[in-house]
Amino acid sequence: MPETTSGTLPHTSVSPAPTDVAPLVRTGSLLRFMLRRDRIRLSIWVLGIGLMALYFSNAIQVIADGVEELAQMAVLFSDPVGRMMTGPAFGMDEPSFERFYAAGYVLFLYILFALMSVFLLVRHTRTEEQTGRAELVRANVVGRHATLTAALLLTGGANAAAAVLVWVASGPVAGYDAAGTALVAAGGFSVGLFFMGAAAVAAQLSQSSRGASAMAGGLLGLAYLIRMGGDMVEQGGSALSWFSPLAWSQQTAPYVEDRWWPLLLPLVAAAGMVALGFWLSTRRDVGASLVPPRLGRATARPSLGTPVGMALRVLRGMLRGWAIALVLAALMFGSYAESMVDAADGLPEEVAMIMTGDDLMLGYLAYMSLFLAIFVAAAGVSGLQVLRSEEVHGRAEFALSLPMSRTTWLGAHLAVLLGGLMALTLLVGLGTAVGAGASLGDLEHTGSLLLAGLHQFPAVLAVVGIVVALFGWVPRIAGTVGWVIIAFSGIATNFGPMLDLPDAVLNLNVFGHLAQHPVEDITLAPVLWLSTLGVAGLVLGLLGWRRREVNRV
Amino acid sequence: MSENPPVIRTEKLVKRFGAVRALDELDLTIATGEVHGFLGPNGAGKSTTMRVLLGLLRADSGTVEMFGRDPWRHAVALHRRLAYVPGDVELWPNLTGGEVIDMFLRLRGPYSTARRDELIERFALDPRKKTRTYSKGNRQKVALISALASDVDLLLLDEPTAGLDPLMEVVFQQTIKEATQNGRSVLLSSHILAQVEALSDRISIIRAGQVVESGTLSELRHMTRTTIEVETARPAGEIAGMSGVHDFRTEGERIIFEVDGERVEDLMHQLAPLGVRSLVAHPPTLEQLLMRHYGEDLGHRSVAEGAQKG
Ligand SMILES: Nc1ncnc2c1ncn2[C@@H]1O[C@H](COP(=O)(O)OP(=O)(O)O)[C@@H](O)[C@H]1O
Ligand SMILES: [Mg+2]
Repeated sequence: MPETTSGTLPHTSVSPAPTDVAPLVRTGSLLRFMLRRDRIRLSIWVLGIGLMALYFSNAIQVIADGVEELAQMAVLFSDPVGRMMTGPAFGMDEPSFERFYAAGYVLFLYILFALMSVFLLVRHTRTEEQTGRAELVRANVVGRHATLTAALLLTGGANAAAAVLVWVASGPVAGYDAAGTALVAAGGFSVGLFFMGAAAVAAQLSQSSRGASAMAGGLLGLAYLIRMGGDMVEQGGSALSWFSPLAWSQQTAPYVEDRWWPLLLPLVAAAGMVALGFWLSTRRDVGASLVPPRLGRATARPSLGTPVGMALRVLRGMLRGWAIALVLAALMFGSYAESMVDAADGLPEEVAMIMTGDDLMLGYLAYMSLFLAIFVAAAGVSGLQVLRSEEVHGRAEFALSLPMSRTTWLGAHLAVLLGGLMALTLLVGLGTAVGAGASLGDLEHTGSLLLAGLHQFPAVLAVVGIVVALFGWVPRIAGTVGWVIIAFSGIATNFGPMLDLPDAVLNLNVFGHLAQHPVEDITLAPVLWLSTLGVAGLVLGLLGWRRREVNRV
Repeated sequence: MSENPPVIRTEKLVKRFGAVRALDELDLTIATGEVHGFLGPNGAGKSTTMRVLLGLLRADSGTVEMFGRDPWRHAVALHRRLAYVPGDVELWPNLTGGEVIDMFLRLRGPYSTARRDELIERFALDPRKKTRTYSKGNRQKVALISALASDVDLLLLDEPTAGLDPLMEVVFQQTIKEATQNGRSVLLSSHILAQVEALSDRISIIRAGQVVESGTLSELRHMTRTTIEVETARPAGEIAGMSGVHDFRTEGERIIFEVDGERVEDLMHQLAPLGVRSLVAHPPTLEQLLMRHYGEDLGHRSVAEGAQKG
């Protein structure tokens, strides 16, 4: 969608830039311009992080009635699966509200800090270059480092502001200990700066803003995965944890050990990456990238001449990206199967009598299949967003000027998307099975794990169906609703029991109805009705798409 | 023999976007084999008309027919007979230009690879580059090549030369002339008079969603006024008194004035004996033309639209 720029450039002459301008000239004007353009987005990010902190730090005090109840709930975070989700779980043998907050929730704030940094920095650097606006700006008297400097100041400032809000929310408002609260806020700030540095480098390397965001975002995903592996091995994290920038801030152990020195790691790394970003930016032209674009084919392969061929090229990159990430995650989750068997040794005797190590392990693998299926559904939602952007960017209009019906266009894209999601489901099941097989040293669970993965497909189909129906009738909200469904599924699945949500709300979780294979036997009813829901959504969406106008904004 | 229906016919076509009447009782008719210039300032409704003609948008009221059929209901059948070049061509960033051209040609039906290669050559396009690295002009070339290499009866071209350099514009004009020699009809939109003048058999001028003038070039001559700057060996004061000459003034050695389209020939007869040393003639811009004939108001919508599209 073409974006309108509100606000005017500080200087509008278009004489070519003199070569002897100092590198930072007009950084201030640029920064003011960025602030003006982004006043709303920026406020949403910063306030959003502040509100999340407010909610998390105060909600716990409402959910848990007292320290005894906290102690029961603490198990959720301190068992290996809990540690995978939320972190090293410091101080959970003697839980307090503030420790509970730091162990269970602060990681999500850190992820928001990271996403905000990547989003803001890429938006003001590579996106500007990609759209050609940067050329206009550089044609004025603007130093060659001014844009990156202004974007860094903006992003750094946003992180500082968000950190202050987090501090206010957890300290003065929630009444948590001062030293720990300061560490929580500083931890968020440090994570933010680390990913700001990563984005500054990525913006030089990739020629598209999507590529740059994907690079920096991929690093965030990797950091999360490494941390998962590291923290799951033992309470307090293991050596592996220390390879994850997300873990560095968590290793300050707020409200338990209150150590500051781990924050040196992200700050030094951020400074190094920022310097690298500046250096790389001098090694290239405006609009160019350091990774040179390669030449491709002069003529198309025969497969490209069909609607499905077209859809395949539209969706291939996105599906491939998700496949790589999810298969790696599945392999890793699978390979923890052995530690689950071991963990059973530490269980209290009463529990061990009803639950063997094998049960625990299979329960864990069933949970992982469910958890990964939510990500497969997320891939589905992002695939449908790709379709929506085909429409908004006019490519659908161009394609539909061919003798190709609306039904063919959407049908081909949906066929490719659903085929891709099915393949993803199978690959994820296979990944979990191979990982588990490797760690347990036998392959007896391979079949049931593949089935466990596949068994989740009706839920994925249902999510896709709902979003396709919206795409056909109310396209503007389709993507947003899709992500809300995913987010809700994630929260309800992971925290539903802990948040004490009413059943009526839990029943809305698309992923909450299928049996937890392999610990439970598959029941047919939810499989059938979820599939029906999905197919009905697809049909409804196709009908809407046939009768609505294309790209009517 | 029964007469062919017009290639395009709209009557009192209305298209609303909320409160905005993007098309306000638009009448437009294009006969078989005709190159029709569709001229209007930014925001006048040219692209909206194209989208209605393609069956991508639905008319709110009025008649719209392509080859005698309703484009909303018979889009696929009609699209076999036409090729479209969008105003803001966006391509698939991970495909090369050559891949996009082939994909479009194949999806449209049988085509000649020789013709495709020839057009790529003439438009000087590197088909091996990913389209994400293309400028606007190059993206337009991709759409143009795939349209011109197709075997279709009608070309819908929405400001197709907006991003082309002057050299490529010449190539564009040649290829369009060749296409019309093969009997194709063309609807060619633009906001620059000179661009459609060179090619069009007929021109319609659209303003705020309405066609305000329509006719052949010579029928529209009465609307045009050419600005002339001339330096003559002998004094040229007498020109000022000629009928059809306006705004006469002298600047140093040169005289500058405007002359009505239909008086240009007379003027040349008057000028020749005076010994012309140099002569520059500027065609009127569309904005001058609309301003002179329809007052200041080009439609308020054009302001915002113009600013946005730059
Ligand atoms: N999808 C849309 N939604 C709302 N308004 C639109 C839309 N498309 C066009 N318009 C409005 O309709 C008018 C005509 O636009 P357009 O057909 O693009 O003009 P042109 O192509 O002649 O520049 C403009 O005022 C524009 O803002
Ligand atoms: Mg237009």
